[in-house]
Amino acid sequence: MPTITFSLKDLQNLVGKRLTIEEIQELAHYGKGDFEGYDKETDEVKIDFGDTNLPYLWSVEGFARLVKGILGMQKGIPEIKIHKGDYQVIVDKSVIKYRPYIACFSAKGCKIDDYLIKQLVQLQEKFCEGYGRRRQKVSIGLYSYKRLAFPVHYKATDPLSIGFIPLEFKAKMNLREILAEHPKGKEYAWILDGFEKYPVLVDDKNEVLSFVPIINSNFTGKLEVGDENLFFEATGTDEEAVNLASNIFAYALYERGFEIYSVEAKYPDRKVVLPDLKSEVINIKNEQIKHLFGLELKENEVKHILEKAQFDFEDYKVKVPPYRKDILHPYDIIEDIGIMYGFDKIKELQLTTLTVGSTFKLNEFIDTVREIVIGIGYQEIMSPILTNKDFLYKKMNIEDFGTIEIEDYMSETYSVVRSWILPNLIDIFSKNKHVAFPQKIFEEGILNTRKGDNIIECSRIAIATSHEKADYTEIRQVLDYIMRCFGLHYDIEEAEHDSFIDGRVGRAIVKGKKVAYLGELNPAVLAEWGLEMPVAALELNLSELWEVVEKK
Amino acid sequence: MEIKKLAESLNPIERKVVKVLDNFSSFHDIIKITGLKDIEVMRALQWLQNKNIVKIKEEQKEIVSLEDNGIKYLKYGLPERIFLEALGSPISIADLAKKAKLTSEEIAISLGTLKSKAAIEITKGKEIVMSITGQGRHLLKHGLPEEQFLKEHFPRELISLNEEEKFVLENLRKRKKIVKVGLTKIISAEFTETGKKLAKEKLDEDLIEKLNPALIKSGAWKGKKFRRFDVKINVPQIFAGRKQHYRRFLDEVRQKFIALGFKEMTGPVVETDFWDMDALFMPQFHSARDIHQGYYVKEPKYAKDLPENVVKNVKAAHENGFGTGSKGWGYDFDVKRTHRHILRTQGTACSARMLASKDLKIPGKYYAIARCFRYDVVDATHLSDFFQTEGIVVEEGLNFRHLKGLLRMFAEEFAETYQIKIVPGYYPYTEPSASLYAKHPQLDWIELGGSGIFRPEMVKPLLGREVPVLAWGIGLDRLAMFKLGIKDIRQLFSHDLEFLRNAKVV
Repeated sequence: MPTITFSLKDLQNLVGKRLTIEEIQELAHYGKGDFEGYDKETDEVKIDFGDTNLPYLWSVEGFARLVKGILGMQKGIPEIKIHKGDYQVIVDKSVIKYRPYIACFSAKGCKIDDYLIKQLVQLQEKFCEGYGRRRQKVSIGLYSYKRLAFPVHYKATDPLSIGFIPLEFKAKMNLREILAEHPKGKEYAWILDGFEKYPVLVDDKNEVLSFVPIINSNFTGKLEVGDENLFFEATGTDEEAVNLASNIFAYALYERGFEIYSVEAKYPDRKVVLPDLKSEVINIKNEQIKHLFGLELKENEVKHILEKAQFDFEDYKVKVPPYRKDILHPYDIIEDIGIMYGFDKIKELQLTTLTVGSTFKLNEFIDTVREIVIGIGYQEIMSPILTNKDFLYKKMNIEDFGTIEIEDYMSETYSVVRSWILPNLIDIFSKNKHVAFPQKIFEEGILNTRKGDNIIECSRIAIATSHEKADYTEIRQVLDYIMRCFGLHYDIEEAEHDSFIDGRVGRAIVKGKKVAYLGELNPAVLAEWGLEMPVAALELNLSELWEVVEKK
Repeated sequence: MEIKKLAESLNPIERKVVKVLDNFSSFHDIIKITGLKDIEVMRALQWLQNKNIVKIKEEQKEIVSLEDNGIKYLKYGLPERIFLEALGSPISIADLAKKAKLTSEEIAISLGTLKSKAAIEITKGKEIVMSITGQGRHLLKHGLPEEQFLKEHFPRELISLNEEEKFVLENLRKRKKIVKVGLTKIISAEFTETGKKLAKEKLDEDLIEKLNPALIKSGAWKGKKFRRFDVKINVPQIFAGRKQHYRRFLDEVRQKFIALGFKEMTGPVVETDFWDMDALFMPQFHSARDIHQGYYVKEPKYAKDLPENVVKNVKAAHENGFGTGSKGWGYDFDVKRTHRHILRTQGTACSARMLASKDLKIPGKYYAIARCFRYDVVDATHLSDFFQTEGIVVEEGLNFRHLKGLLRMFAEEFAETYQIKIVPGYYPYTEPSASLYAKHPQLDWIELGGSGIFRPEMVKPLLGREVPVLAWGIGLDRLAMFKLGIKDIRQLFSHDLEFLRNAKVV
């Protein structure tokens, strides 16, 4: 979730009012933001804005706008004036199949300083990384247009046919070289996977502005302190999203005192004047407010509240400001009514309908088994479910019997879902060799195995005892006791399992179901884990045993 | 304690020690006289000291003691004696070595020592021949000073040695592993004033040490006294079977939900994109999906058992809002991708399954304590494998006011506080969404959970119609850590048996 940083003074200037840190903390909540801190020395405020669909708040200008609404200093959709500009972008048909949309405008009349550059870059990065899906859906460029010869051309070109000096570099490179060598090229090359031609913006003298969406030119695509004529462009695969980017930036720069000039984009089949500030209109109903918030509001109250939230309201028709595209359902507007009304002012109600609480019968059964095993003197443990194959098989002297593996794991240690629990217990023994014996432990939990195309999930309990005299009899007695507690008849048959000593491992069968392995651990396994004490253990399938108990 | 009771409290070993303590005060002597093991005497002295009967004194003293060779020579004789005994008639060195079975080192030492004592004579001819002198015979008969020395009682204090003995000691110390002088802690004990009185008491009384079946059956205990126990004494620790600390906490949370009228709901840990995210109206190609980066399963990649009609509804909700009044996300929903297996990233998957289940009851309250997985580096504050506590309340007529009431109840039940803040939040599947902060008595303000009312675009495709569903997730790990007194989240799954055996039960 995007965390943004800005100067407190700057926020106060934009809002036109002194604000305390406590006030900012409260105000941030209206934007679903969490105040993260204030550094007195640098005057920096940090806020984490949670809503991934409200990118206009990822800039101090956007937050200041919201604050003005909340404080009643500004009502309805904030104004923005657009001058007609004589700038043109020509969209070549070559680019349509790769990255078909562009939105732009020009801004002039203010000198930019170091702080503003940082703010613009912050918004650009947050927008492109999050909302822009790491630049794939939207990427943004800012230029000093004094260096540009209009019209600008947006086209796709052969990677080797064109070259320029990319930002922060000294040598001219062609597009393929940039992808291979420039850090941004390497980072974003995946977006162009499978493209025969690459999208570029060039000016009328064929000077490259940008290799889209990778890197700008060091000549035109670099903002410097003192620049006062800006050209903004956003390109991408989703027209609504590139327009949103353009509108958010246009509003932000307008509120900083820039004059905004329109740009005409000439597509092969149509002409568009940008920025496109058309407002969406959504119909809401008063009952919806009551339905969601239990609030009964008069029409003029609704109007007042929505204007604070910077919507225009007329006869339950709500106009959405052009820097917002998060309204899918009327409820999205109703939520804003609730927020502006104040969550803290909405009165609580208790649930009054009687419902009966319960847990699953299987879980009750599991708890009973746990209680029995604890009663015999076993310490319960709990382990992470994620583990690795070495742990489950190699160190247990057996072959993989069907494992759920993770495709892109973060660390090999946690690369599969456990398929049995006993290794967790052996692991505990290996980590506690210095602790007093006897050590008697158990763990109940979920595990998963893979049988071909099927995934089998079940609950099992593993029980293990380790001390000088630990043996088959002892663990068999544990199993016997559990079975007797439930009045279950069971048989034991000889089994083969290489984690155990040959001839000292059995399988317990209840009503034809093979529910457990039990035996003395193979010294080869003990050696693998560096254990010096004998271990006897069992692993019992509680999901299957429950089926038997339930039917009885 | 009065002296008589004190006397009755002495165990048999203490009694043995008390009886000899008047005459023998050193630890070493007490062992010798009583025939007890040193550990028994030590314990008895400590017990007696605890009862203020004796005072134990410890002193550092220089002590002479025998080493391996010293003990051996004491038993089998010094090499120089063996040497002398073998010297019946003049003999060459080579023959002597054979006859006496001494090592060349021992021969060399014996030769030196005996020469300096003028006990042997060496004649050099064709070969070196040795013979015993009169002095030699005298020594053989009356003993060498070194032999006398070794026969003394060891260990002994250095200051108790006379000049002559000191001279012998210095000689022996030059030889290998015969004697050593070292600083040793000397323990002794003497009676306190109480002890002196106690020593005058009759200590031979026949006290019953341990009641046993024979005594009970025969009635032989009648008229006898039991030795008094020090009931205040510390005892060795025991450990027994018990619940794992975090699991106990989760068990209690579960009990609490049942008490509040919630039914348990569940789902598998190997989920699908469908139940984990798509059914929650989280668009397949949207940044909201970045919040929950998950672990996808290698094989089998796709599930076969998704309910077709529900998938169709969810697809429509994503594409066009499914007649809820929503625009939907307006993209082509990928049906194959929705079948993709993923380890459950959020407990809300259980809520989605419940809403689509034929077992759902309206009105109904449901909870789940669900194992979830996140793509995270495991450290002191993150686990990639953890529990989430989630739930829903489904009932006609419920709204945000009821949600607030519900959240207050949770704050009271789980954080034991009445001070809460409910502020706007963001979740892709709730509208409105709210975060719950609670002022914990010790932890101050903590974020206790997230909540909201499920979006119609989520509810209608699963349930078939729109019903208010209050949804909440509460973060209990911080509270658990606080309650259990642990700082590192990994200790929730601690593998330290000592810690597990001694963890606070809360």
